Amino acid sequence: MISTRARRPPLLRLDDSNPLVPYLYLLPQALLFLAFVVFPIAFGIYVSLHRWNILSDRQTFVGLDYYTAIFTAGTPQAQFFWKTMLNTGFFVAVSVPLLIGCALGLALLLEKPIAGRGFFRTVFFLPTILAVSIMGLLWRWMFENGSGLINVVLERIPFLNTVPFLTTVGWAWVPIIVGTVWWTVGFNMVLYSAALAGIPRAYYDAAQLDGAGTFATFRFVTWPMLAPVTLFAAITTTIASFQVFGQPHVITNGGPLRSTQSVMMYITEEAFTNFRFSSAAAMSMVFGLALLVIAAFQFRLMLQDTGRGNS
Amino acid sequence: MATIAGTGRTGVAVGSRRRRMPRGIIRFVTLSLLAMIFLAPIYWMATTSVKSESDTIARPVQWIPEEPTLENYRAIFASPNATFLRWTWNSLFTSVAFSLLSVALGVLTAYPLARMRFPGRQTWFWILLGSMMVPGIIFLIPHYLMMIQLNWIDTYNALIWPGVPGAFGVFLMRQFLVSVPLELEEAARLDGANSLQILVYVLVPFLIAPMAALGLFNFMAAWNNYVWPLFVVHGDMQTLPVAITTFSSRYWTTYGKLMAGTAIASIPVLIAFLVAQPYFIRGMSLTGLKDE
Repeated sequence: MISTRARRPPLLRLDDSNPLVPYLYLLPQALLFLAFVVFPIAFGIYVSLHRWNILSDRQTFVGLDYYTAIFTAGTPQAQFFWKTMLNTGFFVAVSVPLLIGCALGLALLLEKPIAGRGFFRTVFFLPTILAVSIMGLLWRWMFENGSGLINVVLERIPFLNTVPFLTTVGWAWVPIIVGTVWWTVGFNMVLYSAALAGIPRAYYDAAQLDGAGTFATFRFVTWPMLAPVTLFAAITTTIASFQVFGQPHVITNGGPLRSTQSVMMYITEEAFTNFRFSSAAAMSMVFGLALLVIAAFQFRLMLQDTGRGNS
Repeated sequence: MATIAGTGRTGVAVGSRRRRMPRGIIRFVTLSLLAMIFLAPIYWMATTSVKSESDTIARPVQWIPEEPTLENYRAIFASPNATFLRWTWNSLFTSVAFSLLSVALGVLTAYPLARMRFPGRQTWFWILLGSMMVPGIIFLIPHYLMMIQLNWIDTYNALIWPGVPGAFGVFLMRQFLVSVPLELEEAARLDGANSLQILVYVLVPFLIAPMAALGLFNFMAAWNNYVWPLFVVHGDMQTLPVAITTFSSRYWTTYGKLMAGTAIASIPVLIAFLVAQPYFIRGMSLTGLKDE
């Protein structure tokens, strides 16, 4: 072995002393990474700058036409892109606070030992393992206009009427948002439970010595200690909520009158129904960049806030 | 709330015990009501699936099915366009393949990044890490057009490969590999082990738990994926959860059959979860909250 090493130049050695060894381990993933991560980003930009026709070998270069269309009032692209963007923004604005607040509430209810704690935790986490299509079908049936469970219950309560949830502008958001909270609140609950368990007992003892009541203890001990988790949960939930697709797709199919169509749904409609792949690619870029900016902004906020918490 | 906080203030050793009782009961009742609300959709699905179609919309509503029947299940299995076994196999095969491949690649790639020194190591690590920030929507259209070029539309390849090089697994495995003591590796090297032997016999035994957790999460992510299979595979090649919605809306417009289909697609996952539940939540804190 020593003799081989002495004779051969380093790059031709057949053992670990060859400086290429680390790269050999990286190679399989790197090839796939280039093919399915790096290349598609460049390819997506290329497609958005051409009028892409899947039946043709030669694609016409159109420059930034598809991007300007998104920002020019009057084009269908601008109209629907921004309409669905607003829809998505509304969904984010309502669902994110709910997903943070309800998760924290559940985690607090489960913080101290209680009979059946493991059972409750399992029940609240259970929906998160279901596929979005299953969750969507369940809630479509729950909120069904005629015989859904919700309307069956509403029917029985005096002075309340049944609501055609699935086909009324405005009300159609209710099944989507309720379903989403039911489906994903368990994730944030587990995050909060772990964080609550990590708060040192001494902090609570000190608060009690100072005569702090339940609310004051929460306000001045628990809540600040949870700040990093709250921000982490807020970021991940916001980013996920902006990319909402399955819930409205299954529950309302974007209706009525596109009132629950998310921007992801519109992009896929432009690509796979209208076959305007370049236009859809341009919208993906604009939307993707907006998401990146939000992520970076929230990331900065997080750094600032946790910094303040420590000082 | 205010009254509870108020009584809390009077706390002395004797009073605290009497006080705890009602508070515990309020908490228990609240939790029980919430649990009922959380389980209601699943109960409603299960009972609807064993009602005859006329009973699903009957008034007064049947909280407990009066004449339970398996007719809905028989009907959807007999339905000529429904190939449940095929869809289940598609989901199972592609999710397992995806999960195994990405765990294997994650370990292989994390190894030199965590345990070797070479030029470009930091740069490559930051490139991989940065790729995790890119939102998924950026990839949808180019990936689809690539599948057309590769003739991968309606194939397992389309369901498996595009997600495999995702950097999350690399990042996770690297975090764990960094914490394995160097001495063990050096001892093995003195015994004449080469780098691959060190990985397989020394390091991987330390990674079993995180590898299992990563594998489970990859499997779930692939199984539950919706957007990508919806557009890239069709008909017989569809995955089970997506097929349930697309086919059900087309062929079984009545809710009895729809809920039977939903039950078939979800009950195995629910059972698997209940069996693996302790490992599952622990695995989740392992992957998500390593630093907490």
